[in-house]
Amino acid sequence: MLLLIPTLIGLTLIVFTISHVGGSQRLVGSYINIHSTVPVAVQEQQLAVRFHLNDPLYVQYFYWLGAFLQGNWGYTKTSIYSGAVLDAITLFFPNTLVLAVLASILTAIIGIPLGVWSSVRKDSLFDQATRVISFAGYSIPLYWLALLLIIAFSTSDVCSCLNIFPISGTVSVSLVSGFNWYINGISYPTHVLVIDSLIHGRPDVFADALMHLVLPVATLTYGVMASVLRVMRSSMQDTLNQDYIRTARAKGLDEKTVINVHARRNALIPVFTLLGYTIAGLLGGVVLVEEVFNYLGIGYWSTQAILNGDIGGIMGATIIFGLSFIFANLAVDIAYGFLDPRIRH
Amino acid sequence: MGLRETLGRKGMTTSLLSRLQQYRLTLRILLESPSSTVGLAIVLAYFAIAAIDYTYPSLIGVQNAYSLIPDFTNPVPSPPIWPMHPFGTTFPGVDLYQAVMSAIRVDLWYSLLVVVAGALIGTIVGVVAAYTGGYVDDALMRFTDIFLSIPYLPFAIAVAFVLGRALDNISLALVIVWWPLYARYSYGQALSVKENVYIEAAKASGVGSGGIMLRHIIPNVLTPMFVQVSLDLGTVVQVFAALTFVGFASGNPLLPELGTLISNGFQYAVAAPWVVLFPGLAILIFAIGMNLLGDGLRDALDPRGRT
Repeated sequence: MLLLIPTLIGLTLIVFTISHVGGSQRLVGSYINIHSTVPVAVQEQQLAVRFHLNDPLYVQYFYWLGAFLQGNWGYTKTSIYSGAVLDAITLFFPNTLVLAVLASILTAIIGIPLGVWSSVRKDSLFDQATRVISFAGYSIPLYWLALLLIIAFSTSDVCSCLNIFPISGTVSVSLVSGFNWYINGISYPTHVLVIDSLIHGRPDVFADALMHLVLPVATLTYGVMASVLRVMRSSMQDTLNQDYIRTARAKGLDEKTVINVHARRNALIPVFTLLGYTIAGLLGGVVLVEEVFNYLGIGYWSTQAILNGDIGGIMGATIIFGLSFIFANLAVDIAYGFLDPRIRH
Repeated sequence: MGLRETLGRKGMTTSLLSRLQQYRLTLRILLESPSSTVGLAIVLAYFAIAAIDYTYPSLIGVQNAYSLIPDFTNPVPSPPIWPMHPFGTTFPGVDLYQAVMSAIRVDLWYSLLVVVAGALIGTIVGVVAAYTGGYVDDALMRFTDIFLSIPYLPFAIAVAFVLGRALDNISLALVIVWWPLYARYSYGQALSVKENVYIEAAKASGVGSGGIMLRHIIPNVLTPMFVQVSLDLGTVVQVFAALTFVGFASGNPLLPELGTLISNGFQYAVAAPWVVLFPGLAILIFAIGMNLLGDGLRDALDPRGRT
């Protein structure tokens, strides 16, 4: 908790420093609004005054921080969106959030039970299979896995019977063309298609959007699940060797109660410690998965920004990824307190 | 003076001998486990490929180890044919086998650079913070924590973007992203090493702080760091290739590099799956080998695991 404020300041310092590598052109570049009627040269002069570019760096930092806190994060210009960075984030972040949240939920409801079962049936065929699956998840490049899934499940390369899911995007374009709530690949009002389609009463669009989510979420889940599975398995094994488990068994509790009530909750603690790293992996994975599936989210936006040399997009994406990571970790810390009452005291 | 020198040298040789014996023991334990043997074999094979590609590329059938050879008369990927194109060709008419072999060298080199530089910086920061303590400790470790508070892939993207799209800059970006992990790790190790009696003895006999860190703490931190580096190398190869895949090497599409190869073949992936299959497999197999070896090393170097 206490670390939150210095970390937030540190994040802004890092982003500010990045924007100042080799002079202040990048900072100025990210605040040039090409849609404004004011000529670029005049805008540059205004920015030089506004950010006090002739003053020392630390002074500039505070003026930049001021603009940042007032919600002025500069402008982005990519092929998918051109305008204020903060607007781009409100448009793209919900889509990314959907991917990340679905993948986290699936990781929890698949990874944790698999880890528990695999340690309970240690060295069985099931355990061996789980270990191989988790090990492969560590080693596989996510974007490559995504491509393999596309080849297997979106084309007839392997078998025409497997050609089930759409190749890329968030929805079949023909289905939504002409809708007044779906413009330039972005749906309104929540910008999350699976929710917006229901708001507007279109179950067919909802089903289509859901089909588009399957492969990206599957890729992301697999990439993140590996570490959860591994830690859950080893932590469950350690827990099952504890004295209080022997006591529970000795007093005649059935195995189900021992595992579900006595062991699992304690075994979850190391998994929780790992969650911070898992979230980092998730946010990194999102970039690659969105890129491969042409899925309109923050990750896709940031890769578009690289290709277009768009500094505003890169800075905005770095900040939003950093903020998500910091606050997700905060949530984990708070949840930790509920899971392990010793920490609260 | 003479006596002291001989004593010093004698101490050195015996310690070197005992260290060599320890390495032999580690290797024996490592080879007892089939999975780490496989890992070691894979890793050695990759390093052998890289070395041959660097010295005598023609030995493994590579014509030009530093640039892909395009064939603009047949730019569209063609399927694998033995023995002409064992992995097929990729866009623009490049023989995929030669490309992958040279790319292994390039990726290994840059990734090694990243982990070694990262481990070096991280070890120094971690050891200095742990040994000095107080304000220095707080300042250095909070600084480290702040770097750790940004997910590494987006952060590396931002740094690499600012430095410019070139492989050297990607490696530099990855070092900037990676050293904090090693700083945290070596910090933890150094904190426990610091409590040993021999550190107190060194202090009592008048060795300065720098000497203690250099001669007594860092050597004892190096072994666990080495395991960590070997566990990370597989990941760094992946992240490096991921960055080039995302578009950081687009300045030179003829550079043999695994991520660039996948990215070049990206638009043909559906019609010609081999263009992404083989470069990806090259990354996957190396990562598996490195992880197997890293796990084995961790078990072998952990004295508690020894019987």
